[in-house]
Amino acid sequence: MFEWLKKWTTPEKLRDAGVMGMNARNFHVISKYNDRRLYPLVDDKVQTKTLANKIGISTPKLIGKIEFQHEVKNILDIIGSEREFVIKPAQGSGGKGVLVIKDYRDGMFTTASGRQISYNEVYQHISNILSGLYSLGGKYDAAIIEELVHFSDIFKEYSYQGVPDVRLIIYKGFPILAMTRLPTKASGGRANLHQGAVGVGLDIQSGRALHGVCRDKPISIQPDTGADLMQIKVPFWKEHLLIGALAYDMTGLGYLGADIVLDAQKGPMMLELNARPGLAIQIANGIGLKSRIKEVDKYYPSGLNAEERVEFVLNYKRAK
Amino acid sequence: MLKKFTSVRFILSVFLFVSVIFAAYSVYYKIEYWGFSFMPKTNTNVWTIEAHISFEPTGDPIKVSLTTPRSNDAFKILEENVIAPGYRVNKNQSASRLILSAPAQEKPQDIYYKIMLFDNVSTKGKIWAPQPEAPQPPLFDEQKMAAARQILELSKKKYDGDRVVQIIKLLNESPLEPAVQAYLPIKNTPQMMVEIISELLALEKIPARPARGFKLEESKKALTPDLMLEAYINNSWRVYDLKTAKKGVPDNFILFQRGGKSLIDVEGGENSVIKFSVLKSVTSSFNLAEQRAKISDSKSWFDYSIYSLPLAQQNTLKWLSIFPLAILVIVLIRNIIGLQTMGTFTPMLLAMSLVKTGFWPGMFCFAIIMTLGLSIRFIMSKLNLLLVPRISAVVIFVILIMQVLTITGYRLNFNIAQSAVFFPIIIMSWIIERASITWEEDGPLNAGREIIYSLIAAIATYFVISSEYIRHIMFAFNELNLVILFVVMLLGTYTGYRLVELKRFRPLVKG
Repeated sequence: MFEWLKKWTTPEKLRDAGVMGMNARNFHVISKYNDRRLYPLVDDKVQTKTLANKIGISTPKLIGKIEFQHEVKNILDIIGSEREFVIKPAQGSGGKGVLVIKDYRDGMFTTASGRQISYNEVYQHISNILSGLYSLGGKYDAAIIEELVHFSDIFKEYSYQGVPDVRLIIYKGFPILAMTRLPTKASGGRANLHQGAVGVGLDIQSGRALHGVCRDKPISIQPDTGADLMQIKVPFWKEHLLIGALAYDMTGLGYLGADIVLDAQKGPMMLELNARPGLAIQIANGIGLKSRIKEVDKYYPSGLNAEERVEFVLNYKRAK
Repeated sequence: MLKKFTSVRFILSVFLFVSVIFAAYSVYYKIEYWGFSFMPKTNTNVWTIEAHISFEPTGDPIKVSLTTPRSNDAFKILEENVIAPGYRVNKNQSASRLILSAPAQEKPQDIYYKIMLFDNVSTKGKIWAPQPEAPQPPLFDEQKMAAARQILELSKKKYDGDRVVQIIKLLNESPLEPAVQAYLPIKNTPQMMVEIISELLALEKIPARPARGFKLEESKKALTPDLMLEAYINNSWRVYDLKTAKKGVPDNFILFQRGGKSLIDVEGGENSVIKFSVLKSVTSSFNLAEQRAKISDSKSWFDYSIYSLPLAQQNTLKWLSIFPLAILVIVLIRNIIGLQTMGTFTPMLLAMSLVKTGFWPGMFCFAIIMTLGLSIRFIMSKLNLLLVPRISAVVIFVILIMQVLTITGYRLNFNIAQSAVFFPIIIMSWIIERASITWEEDGPLNAGREIIYSLIAAIATYFVISSEYIRHIMFAFNELNLVILFVVMLLGTYTGYRLVELKRFRPLVKG
């Protein structure tokens, strides 16, 4: 009779587990450490890219940008000879409005899912982006076209189409939690947890899998490929962390989410930053964000540069 | 971090506390002085007492003097007017007499005096007044004086209660004591009774006087005022029934004349007759609030309140004053429970329309508009229109759906379909647009969830704001909105877990 109650817990238990709730995130962390004036740096992907390249973070190459409706017809000129690329809103969030073109030839576009679409549909998609359909608050937006990342084979068996990425939570410049987000059939090839992608928490010191989560429920195998999620170990882990640490230097945001994708040739590349990263990462890690934040506030030194912060995180001895 | 947080919360708590105190006082004030009530649709009885005075002129200049009631603790006067063509009307405030004068007349005269009273409350017969002068002892011959003394002695011996009660009871015994029988005239009228008792009381230096009034009952017949006795005991005038010696003004009894010798004096007229009639009417309490404010010297406050506005504006503001409560519900749903709804205030606006349409008709129309709208929107998404024209087309479709619903509803005598027009068109269109985008982007599951959550929020809000009782309180005591403001702001400092997070983060708790 009270079986359903077992699916619930109490605030005390969550507090003991160091879990951070949405209200606490907004009040104690975001409104305190994230100056609203800095938001455009992360909300606008063109700005983010420019800044990132300046500070030495590699990002997917920008092929072109379309700001006005009358420019949309130039799309084919902008694409030029590129055969694969991604069209996304400059101020989109949560992977909304991202169109991945795997193959473009003879006037036909093939999307990541293998669907063939026409020039008209691409045109339409860009128009939608410009009119603000995918941007925060429906503001007029720009569309950017950037190179398609060839993600490392290491993730191949773990994801269904799409681009798997690594999400880092960076607090005061220290990467504190990490997870990889693996697209599934259910998520339509997108790496968004709320759409049904799998999240696998990664040990912040080694990049090894900790827990898997899908739709807020624990999972240990990839539902589409059947691969054992617990075998994941992300290579170039230190480079991943360095991107996160540098992202703090470049934006000044005290609480930050960095989405990093591992390119087969070019290594880890930063896809985008997020000033209000979600809380599902806690479930994927089995670790409460609040406990990590407390740890940083209490024990982590200040005044370190990005490399030193990464070193500190990698070598930090956490009492078990 | 903690310091800043506590201080913000502290300041807000202080504001909340102050606003609660203010609201509590204001609520008390409105109830006490303006007659507001927590119950909606409270009506107040308004009693119209009409005095019809008729007499035949003698040919001399006419002067009619009529005792009139004044507002006091026992009732309030809404309106007072005299219909006496050709008469000069003079009001003697201190003696509460109305003096009508006219030159000599020939035809029989009719004068009407009308007064509207409300808030007749029981004052338990006590009306505070400064000590009047001690009455002159009556001039009795020795024999009568002796009889009077005997009666006073007897009454003291035989009965409990104050002197007045004792005397009245003695004089109303059946059969009467021989001494009393000898003392009273053979044909006794209430008028004489009052005089006799007053004389007896005067011997004991208790001021007494006649009082006239009416039982407030609707009656078609002409009424004659009941005579009662008022005596000054313990710093206030108390009213006594002449027969039963019962203290206090009976329920629904209006003292029309207090003090003064006569009810009416007519100079220059004869065969004067005064007939009274009583009529009850019912008025909403709000309508009388202004009168009450006038009487309680809070008129200037009242002039700057909502309730002094014309009715149309009042209705608009009544509608507005429920919004803060609806907003509070939304804040609770989003920040404490944690349901993600479409748009922040969309559910509130839906709830507002549900109030206008009624629950089931509203749900029916919402379902139809959503189903048709979404289907049309899906067909349209194949056309690849740009955003603004597309949403505009959805708006027009929604309008068309509403028109069709209303017309067919009317034709088929199916009333509920007509409530479609109350839904906010733009909001409906955006819900359709958002739902279909979510459907395409995140699948039907997420779209359905968004709609369901928004609907749950709307229904919860609906049940709060549809209550006539709550609506009345929020309007009558609009200072509560200030309390809600600070509650909402305080909720802005709530950093605990949301209800849904207790389930969502359950896997993080070991065991």
